[in-house]
Parts: sequence; structure tokens; C-alpha cells
Amino acid sequence: MSRTIDINVHHVTRVEGHGNIVVRAKDGKILKNEWQVPEAPRFFEAMVRGKSYEDIQTIVSRICGICSVTHSLAAIKAIEDAMGIEVSEQTDKLRILAHYGEQIESHSLHVGYLVAPDLLGQKSVVPLASSHPDVVKAVIAVHRLGNTMMEKLSGRKTHPVRLVPGGFAKLPSADDLLDLRGMLEKAIPPAQAVAATVAGLLDKIPDFDRDTEYIALVKPPTYPFYHGQIGSTDTDELVPVQEFERVINEYMTPQSTAKWTRWHRDAYAVGALARFNLNADHLLPLAVETAKQFGLKKGCCNPYWNSIAQIVEIVQVIERSIQLIDERLKAGIEPERAEVTPRAGTGTGCVEAPRGILFHKYSFDETGHCTGANISIPTNQNHGNIQKDFESLVPSILDREQDDIRLLMEMLVRAYDPCISCSTHYLDVEFV
Amino acid sequence: MTADTVIIGLGNLYLRDEGVGVRVVRALSERGGLPEGVETLDLGTGGLTVLHALNGRRRAVIVDCAMMGEAPGAWRRFGPDEVQSRKVTMRYSLHEGDLMQTLELARKLGECPADVRIIGIQPERVEPGEELSPALQERFEEYVRAVAEEAG
Repeated sequence: MSRTIDINVHHVTRVEGHGNIVVRAKDGKILKNEWQVPEAPRFFEAMVRGKSYEDIQTIVSRICGICSVTHSLAAIKAIEDAMGIEVSEQTDKLRILAHYGEQIESHSLHVGYLVAPDLLGQKSVVPLASSHPDVVKAVIAVHRLGNTMMEKLSGRKTHPVRLVPGGFAKLPSADDLLDLRGMLEKAIPPAQAVAATVAGLLDKIPDFDRDTEYIALVKPPTYPFYHGQIGSTDTDELVPVQEFERVINEYMTPQSTAKWTRWHRDAYAVGALARFNLNADHLLPLAVETAKQFGLKKGCCNPYWNSIAQIVEIVQVIERSIQLIDERLKAGIEPERAEVTPRAGTGTGCVEAPRGILFHKYSFDETGHCTGANISIPTNQNHGNIQKDFESLVPSILDREQDDIRLLMEMLVRAYDPCISCSTHYLDVEFV
Repeated sequence: MTADTVIIGLGNLYLRDEGVGVRVVRALSERGGLPEGVETLDLGTGGLTVLHALNGRRRAVIVDCAMMGEAPGAWRRFGPDEVQSRKVTMRYSLHEGDLMQTLELARKLGECPADVRIIGIQPERVEPGEELSPALQERFEEYVRAVAEEAG
């Protein structure tokens, strides 16, 4: 009997496209199997040209409402690299704390709002709030912690204003840190409750492995998000972040207007699972326990388990944040603001966004005005890998119902936690 | 202490009219003179962050660029029950915001203010750029006044 599969999850907004999943198969033969994606908002690279170094981090924080601290920090690090600015240990640690807030915020959103509905058989988080209110409330408690950390440290719930080249425009007080410490302690039980819920649903996560190259920041003996060099599971070589272009090797492909990337193979993956696979030896005790609860081990090549690695990271950064706050409270908050003297040069900043390694590179003239920018976001780095996953996954599930195939492919894309069409927000409504 | 009323501006400042909500809220905040107990927040493209900004408030006024089938620059005031979202979200990504869904979630969690008013402004151009299009520039003061009145 002739059997045709035709999946075309296609939707284009007025401004930017979404990712499209296109599969066509006839009588067991795959005719088309593509992840088609539009370019991420590269217009920010044009937007910062001609702007002062003092304004860059504020502008690029608008690239993404979820990773706004991450983009600000990548830009600030690049500016400091270009202008030879060293920051104090206090600045460094407080920035890391703000960055942890964003990891908590983003991971809890991803696991709770996008992945949990799939695992619990709901279409979105809205019906989930009725069917599983305790799960949603636990997620929101953790999400709220992340949001508050970002607000106390960077001055805003999103699009930070206090993170500036050289230091902080305004430092948090010891009382702020003490409040946060209390909130962090309180967030451990809901984080563990989310972990326990997902651990009870592991049979709903597809069993799919594909040997993959994973890339993330590496800095033994730590589990880094902010410092380090570029590492890969394919090599022992560690590459300085300033040389990131020889890692990402951007190239064009006919099926997408986004630039894809590759290093040692046709594609690589970035994100929580990449970080775990490279740095799991340096997790703190509660995070180790959480990984054990899932049976997550280094070398995991199931892309759907990126969400599990995110849960482990939520616990890791909560634990590490408490340590950092204790260190800062002991040292005391010292008033400071590093002076910045602009100079001509080029610099690179690299941090781990919640969804993977992020690179910003800028050049400046002698007055500190930007003459060129290159931003490589993690989602673009994952596109090629999603395509490779599709090529391995689809033949193995071709005998299933079309709707099942589509769902498994959508869940795979979701697992990568992509940043697509994030720069627009407008309402689209009709009056009833 | 959490202010009784929050005015939230949404949108992307670097996509011209998309950022009108943020511009209105900034203007209100810079000019001052809002009654006591009214807080302004620029939440940009923060999406679900809105949920936390609503929690604990009695009243929320949300300003956003809105496709409503009106003439460019026109604005309308409405409540969450007066509209239906036409937005198709693929759920691939956290980054697809739909305010109407966020409000529904807040209601289900019992965290939605009793009084929510949305000021929707019909864009002329949503494209890379930092300036509002002329149709919106002309009526900008009207938007600021309308939002201030809602929060008054």
C-alpha cells in the first residue's frame, strides 16, 4: 500500500520567520527532511556601528528578552578586552551572580513552560496550570528567583542597566545579597520538586542517541558560564575565545538564510548538555545528586536530554550562588567603579548563554566608537546539529503515524531551547 | 513595597514602531508627576517576565504595539476579555511572546490584577530602526496622555 508522509510545520510572521520543519516521504523513501531557519536578528550588528562603547551593552541587551544579561555581559567583556580594562574580583563575582540569575530564569522557563507540557500531555503551560498546578507553581517559584536575582544585581527584571564596562553603575548592597541568599535557599525545594517530577516522566523522553561533538566553555576545576576557553568533546585542545572564528567556521546552506557552523565534524551542539558533557566533573554536590537522580552521565548524546542537563544546572547555579554570596558578604561590598579610557582596538567577549556559547566581537576607533561587530549566537550554532539529528531520527521513526513523527521532531527542536523570532513582541489581536 | 498600580511598556526599541510601548513608559517615567503608588516598568521583550511584574498589583496598564486592523498610529484601550489573540506560536522557543497567554496564565495562578487595561497602538512599520514612523510620532503625546489617564 502506498504511504505518503507530508509534514510542513510552516509559519512566517510579518517580520521574521520561525523555524520550519519539512518532511516528505513516499513508500518509505525520504524525499525531503529539513530544518529550515531564518537568520537571527543580525541587524543589531549594524545598529551598534557608530555608537559609543558606553552604549553597546544597553543596545545589545535588546537582542533577546530572555538572555539580556548574557548579551550585555558578552558585549562588556568584548569592550574590556578591546580597551585593556581589568575588573576587580568583586565586579567579576557579582557579574557571575547576575548571569546565574539569568540561567535560573531561562532554564526554569524552558523546562516548565515548553518541555513539561510535552511530558504531561498538554498543549501549553496554560492548560498545565489547571491540570498540574503544583508543577507550574514550583516552576514559577524558581523562575521568580532568577528574575529577582537579575533585578537586584543588574537593576532591572530584563534589559539590565547597571552592568557597565569597568564595573557596576550601581552596586548591590550587602542587604540585597542577604535577601537573595534567603531566596536561593528557599528555591532549592521547588527546584528539586521540578527535578523529581521530570525524573518520573523519563519514559516520555524519546530514546534517541546520535554521536555528537559538543562545544562549551571549559575552565577546570570549575563548571563555567562566564570564564574559560573553548573546549570540544572531540579534542583536548582548548581555544582562546579571541580565536572563536576558527571554531565556528560559519557557512551558508541553501535550506536556510541563517549561517550554520561546524568545527571537527559537519555540525556541533552547544547548550546545557554540551556544558555538562565537558564539565560534569566539576559540579557541586547537590547538582551531582540531581544528575544521578536522572542517570545523566558524561557522554550523553541524546539531544532531548538537554532539558535534563538544564535541570541539573539550575541546582548547580543555585548552589554556587549561595557560595558566591557568602564569599562576598565575608569580604564586604567595597565602593568602586573602574575608570575606562577609550582606545582603538578589537576585542572579543564570550559567555555561556542559557542555550549555549555566545560570542561578541567589536572594533573601536580611538574615541571608543564602534566600527564593526560580529555576534554569533548559540541558536545559529545549533541549527546544523538539529539538521543532522533530523537525518538520523526520521528514518528510525518513519513507520509511525505522521502526527507522532511531527511531535517528536518538534520536541527535538524545543529541546535545543532555540532563540527564534525573539526580537519582536507585538500583540496580534481581533476584537470579540 | 510593591506599588498598587504598574504601567508596563513592551516591545523592541530597535524595531521602530514595535518599541512604542517602551517609549511611552520611558516618557512617563522621565517626566514624572505620576500619582503615588504607580510604578512604570520597561519590560522590553521580556515575555513571561510580565507575570512577575503583575503579581501583587491591584491594577496594571500595559502598553504595546498591536496589530488590530486599525489605521497606522491609531490606538485602542481594551481589557483581556475583549480580544482574542491571532498569534500562532510554534512553541519551539521561549522567545515567542504572547501577552494574552501570559495574562491567562496569571489568572489561572490567581496572580492577575483585578484591573488590567491594555493600550494597543497600531504600527506603521515594524522593521530595524530606532525612530518611530511619522504616523506614530504625530500621535505620541496622545498615547502618553491616554496611559497617564488610565493610571490616574
